[in-house]
Amino acid sequence: MAAIENFDNIYLDLSKEGGKCRFAESGLGWKPTTGGEPFTLQGSDISGAQWSRAAKGYEIKILLRNSNIVQLDGFQQEDFERLTKLFKNWYSATLENKEHSLRGWNWGKAEFGKAELTFNVQNRPAFEIPYSEISNTNLAGRNEIAVEFGKGKKASAGKDQMVEMRFYIPGTTTRKEAEGGDA
Amino acid sequence: DQNGVEIKKFKRFESYKRDNQFPPKVRDMGIVVDQKNATVVLPVMGRPVPFHINTIKNASKSDEGEWSFLRINFLSPGQGVGRKDDQPFEDASAHFVRSLTFRSTDGDRYTEIANQISNLKRESVKKEQEKKDMED
Repeated sequence: MAAIENFDNIYLDLSKEGGKCRFAESGLGWKPTTGGEPFTLQGSDISGAQWSRAAKGYEIKILLRNSNIVQLDGFQQEDFERLTKLFKNWYSATLENKEHSLRGWNWGKAEFGKAELTFNVQNRPAFEIPYSEISNTNLAGRNEIAVEFGKGKKASAGKDQMVEMRFYIPGTTTRKEAEGGDA
Repeated sequence: DQNGVEIKKFKRFESYKRDNQFPPKVRDMGIVVDQKNATVVLPVMGRPVPFHINTIKNASKSDEGEWSFLRINFLSPGQGVGRKDDQPFEDASAHFVRSLTFRSTDGDRYTEIANQISNLKRESVKKEQEKKDMED
């Protein structure tokens, strides 16, 4: 295995611009193609990683020890093996293949994790919402919860900015639950 | 059923089987109406998320200052449209995404998308009805 592994046209946290992603034993770095401040991450900060299909290509979602999440999108399907080895050997982390639901259903189960809300359809995630993107939540009606998004980086990354999502949660739903207060 | 009452059955549907079936346009992280697969792909935190036209109730566009809003309403229990809970659900005890609202400064695009979704919905309802008529 090389001492450094490079990948081009990678997007960091839904950045508008692609960049170069470089992995080494000590950690990883990302730099926009047109220059600018590089982003770096210590290998010791990584607690886990997931591989799944995203917008630009395949995405590595890195879970950090401080509960933050870093997303790198734009990998090719055939990069998976190389990256799995690299995460295992250098960061002692398993790159977990996380297939998302493609069924197109709007029903499932909203689950509250450490850093994000995951909407699962038949035990597969359909989408995730980082808590850091949520600006407000309220009970909009009986069994209806409205989640509002501010000018968060990820909610407004594309040309269509997501401003609100409403959920129907049957039965007794407390506000605490809606805000992930029990997590 | 045995009592001669028509019970509406839930019919399963699926947008995609494999992730290479997404339209290439999902790269741009915008809303994509995929007519071929009767699906609307919505960008949720950058991820393309398919919603089959059967889950969609309607889509509407509104304007507020420089912004245009596109709201997509999904079918979910307890909406009381027409006859109460007329729509069959596979699992009424599940959690449902009830609506999603996006904003953009390109209002013409939202008018176009809202029309495309309405047309797709109309076609899909028509097809369902034709199928039903054939069965009767």
